Amino acid sequence: MVYYFGVRHLSPACAFYVKEFLNRCRPEAVLIEGPYDLSSFISSLCSVSSGMPAAILAYTKEAPVKTVLWPFAEFSPEYQAMLWAVRNNIPVKFCDLPSDCVLAVKDESDTEQISDSERRFSVYDYIKKSTGLDNDTFWEYNFEHNENYDDFISAAEEYGKSIRDFSENNEHNKLREAFMRRVISETEKETGSGNIAVITGAFHTYGLKNVSFSEEDRELTENLPKTEAKATLMPYSYYKLSSHSGYGAGSRAPAYYEILWNNRVKGTLSDSSAEYLSRIAGYQREHGFSASSAQVIEALKLAGTLAQMRSGNMPSIADLRDAAVTCMGHGSFGEISLAAADTEIGLKIGYLPEGTVCTSLQDDFMRQLKELKLDKYRSAAGEQLELDLRENLRVKSEKSAFLDLNRSFFLHRLSVLNIHFGEQSYINQDNATWKEIWKLQWTPETEIQIVEASLSGDTVEQTAKYILNGSLNEAQSLSETAEILSHSFECGLPDTVKTAVSAVGRLAADCTDVKDTGDTLGTLSSVIRFGSIRRIDTAPVVPLMERLFLRFCLGVYSASVCDKAAAEEIVRVISKVNDACLSHDFLDEERFVLVLDRIADSDTVNPLVSGFACAVLTERGKISSKKLSELISRRLSKGTPPADGALWFEGLSRKNRRSLISRLSLWEKLCNFISELDDEEFKPVLICLRRTFSEFSPSEKSDIAENIGEVLGISSEAASEYIMAEITSDEKASLDELDDFDFGDI
Amino acid sequence: MSNSSEILRLPAEILYKSEIDALIKNETNPVPAGWQMSPKSVLTYIMGGKSGNVTITPKYMGDRKIVEICIATLVTDRALLLIGEPGTAKSWLSEHLTAAINGNSSRVIQGTAGTTEEQIRYSWNYAMLLAKGPSFESLVKSPVYNAMETGTIARIEEISRCASEVQDALISILSEKRISVPELSEEVAAKKGFSVIATANTRDKGVNEMSSALKRRFNIVVLPAPSDMETEIDIVKTRVAQMADNFQLNARLPDDSAVERVVTVFRELREGKTLDGQIKLKSTSGVLSSAEAISLLVNSMALAGSFGDGTVGDSELASALQGAIVKDESKDKAVWTEYLENVMRKRGKSYSGLYSECKERNQ
Repeated sequence: MVYYFGVRHLSPACAFYVKEFLNRCRPEAVLIEGPYDLSSFISSLCSVSSGMPAAILAYTKEAPVKTVLWPFAEFSPEYQAMLWAVRNNIPVKFCDLPSDCVLAVKDESDTEQISDSERRFSVYDYIKKSTGLDNDTFWEYNFEHNENYDDFISAAEEYGKSIRDFSENNEHNKLREAFMRRVISETEKETGSGNIAVITGAFHTYGLKNVSFSEEDRELTENLPKTEAKATLMPYSYYKLSSHSGYGAGSRAPAYYEILWNNRVKGTLSDSSAEYLSRIAGYQREHGFSASSAQVIEALKLAGTLAQMRSGNMPSIADLRDAAVTCMGHGSFGEISLAAADTEIGLKIGYLPEGTVCTSLQDDFMRQLKELKLDKYRSAAGEQLELDLRENLRVKSEKSAFLDLNRSFFLHRLSVLNIHFGEQSYINQDNATWKEIWKLQWTPETEIQIVEASLSGDTVEQTAKYILNGSLNEAQSLSETAEILSHSFECGLPDTVKTAVSAVGRLAADCTDVKDTGDTLGTLSSVIRFGSIRRIDTAPVVPLMERLFLRFCLGVYSASVCDKAAAEEIVRVISKVNDACLSHDFLDEERFVLVLDRIADSDTVNPLVSGFACAVLTERGKISSKKLSELISRRLSKGTPPADGALWFEGLSRKNRRSLISRLSLWEKLCNFISELDDEEFKPVLICLRRTFSEFSPSEKSDIAENIGEVLGISSEAASEYIMAEITSDEKASLDELDDFDFGDI
Repeated sequence: MSNSSEILRLPAEILYKSEIDALIKNETNPVPAGWQMSPKSVLTYIMGGKSGNVTITPKYMGDRKIVEICIATLVTDRALLLIGEPGTAKSWLSEHLTAAINGNSSRVIQGTAGTTEEQIRYSWNYAMLLAKGPSFESLVKSPVYNAMETGTIARIEEISRCASEVQDALISILSEKRISVPELSEEVAAKKGFSVIATANTRDKGVNEMSSALKRRFNIVVLPAPSDMETEIDIVKTRVAQMADNFQLNARLPDDSAVERVVTVFRELREGKTLDGQIKLKSTSGVLSSAEAISLLVNSMALAGSFGDGTVGDSELASALQGAIVKDESKDKAVWTEYLENVMRKRGKSYSGLYSECKERNQ
């Protein structure tokens, strides 16, 4: 005798009654919908040291990688059936198509699945039409809240039958069912009495029940298509299970279904609504919103009435959410959306016994952890790790001499793989290019990320290469490609560096954008500076930089004729290129100085850029003091529009302020300039100067005050006191008025 | 009551008497105390459907869920607060809810800055008070008092416009469900079925912010602006037809393209971007709700009927749009000009007539 039980995946009611069902029919073997060839995973899933949610992941070996996933939660009927069988020592296995076959036919079935769901749509439409409820609510009212075994079984049977009646069976499903019939018939023969239980989706139950294994089925399932595939168990998370993040067979509110499941097991199903609402209220309180018990009570009452109006006995999740929005969210979902996400989806992540998650990437990861002496950091508490990338001269073996460097490579590779085991803290690395600080923390999510990354390769190194090469192919802009180049350096992948260098070279040939070129020069410069310490040959980058540098020098003048927003960008890249120029002798410094000279002297380029160029030249000592004072006089004279003058001064003061402060003549000119302005001209100048001086430090300001005091003939203390004083409310009001000042064309 | 055809605006329970009667006659579900029909029938009355062989017209076009929450709130004897932008059918919904539940939508208090506590509770007929002394006969009962006595629903419009001490008077009524009359040393307890529906305007936020103590006694439902174009066109068309019928305007109903164009302009200016999301727009100082669109179209029908040939053409629409959109001369005019030049001018033939008319008026 074969007993069939049709389930809805991830349904607590089905999970609960499937145990009852098995207890009643006492089968000698249990068959469950799942990949036939992966039945060996069942024992690990049911081990006491496993916690749901977890999933079986199968994937093809060859690129493009195709994957297929079977997720299980505590309240999956399939999982409860497995548990029952394992605990009662009864043979249990999966009976659906083997995973390699599913992967082989995946492309076809994917397209078919769309039409399948279209057809299913019509069943749900029918439910909607006749009851006014969407499918999930209908199911919850009529099945999840059902507390009578016999009622449930007969209702579920009817439901499964009608789903089948309303949809046509496609080829893929026919093949699956033929295979299941085959497994059923084989298992029937194996067991003496032929007493077996078959747990499948309700849709399939009616393709299996009362249909015997035929000759046609044998032919169909004789030579199944196959592809080379691998499989692993992986911990899963409720977040991934909720349909928010993609995978097909999910549950929209796993944490809520867990509440239903726990209460059902305890026999207090009707408490679920109160639990949902109290959790929302609890979350709100914890996060500083008010949510009183009175509101929970009102919400519970409202949810009950809503359920009645929609002809349910107990509130469904939709009723509960509506009630929570009305009574606790002041009518807007936004107020409780985070609480709802927490209560409905939750953060639960499953775990599996050590050694059951078995991808080669996982093995490689573990091996490297050990090799690099990082395994003690594999803990939930975050720990800091400081790396010194230089060769350690006090040790003998090369391996330990470069231990920290290799650790750095490994951690950088992990971040390329999107495995968040280590987080690099950004420190001010002005003098310490050899130092890196990482924060290492092991979370259950890390394990999931490793499994996901294993889809792209077998070792950490190989996968990092694969991913970087992929993004090189996709990268459009020069600076993007240069970023990838510097990543390849950090990851210590010479081959990828080579590819990236040629990609940068290719894109550089067509790049005319000065900003892009400048950014790339900055990135490449740091690559060369860091490169030697990472023991990677940086020679091929040098000619590349020379070419880009030339192009930058040729283009920067015309790019400087621009508006204020673009000028900020230009100033940024000039400063980057200046840094690069200072640290690399092979760059043609003379050319750079020449073009800066031209910019500094020109009245057509944006005054901010012009002022900044002047500042760079001053810093490099490439401008004579006569020339500088000439420029200052010209810029701050009557002929120049006052706002331009102020902007120019802002550019000038971006660099080497000290040397500016020491030039008394500059402050003299600035004072004259300001005192000659009339009221209307003063406003834009004030705004610019205020912004400029806001970046000066207090000591710099007091030095300026000293200068000004000298110019104006007042004591330096008095001037300093005046400058440092708190702003008065009157002054503040008139400054606030300037907030809306319209600069016109500047 | 005088001949109902002379009344400018009939209350909902008279206008839709046949529908309400049919729903009461065909009632099959349990009816809560003090109600004249079951919650499900109220829902049918508001959302439309069938009762026996009478077709129930939909009164509120929008999310069914919202109406369900409103009705369920009233069943649980909680007070209901409807919040929304002006013109999102708050008062309309509250009127129809009371019409269906009690058959009487007239127990209304209009909240204004001048509303006093007496208007919420009770006041005295002073002639009678002097003649007979304090007694129940000399009491002038407020709509809320009346509703408590009869176990029905009272409506308070624009509650946030009332001064806060007046709002506070409601707190004890809503939590204790009784009014005390100390002058008579009596206390009147509310009968089953008593509740309050209040409406408040989000644009008036901060005028008289409701205290959290009062807010707590209400279930709050936010009425959204119509979510999509089709619903809004539907709402506007239905209401314009009803109103035109009422006012007997000598004009034909505006054709679909006119309604569509007005709704498009309103939606775009309200949301601050074009329907395709490509162009960002400045928004106007006035409110551009569906209710405004309705009155605009009725307005242009009146124009066409009285001064034109009875058809709503581009010139009538343009005049009405100008009036509806340009409320603050200096600011709105610029917004409207920008919209005309950047959006409407480029819309092609169907808008070209309207564009030139609008441009002329916005000189």
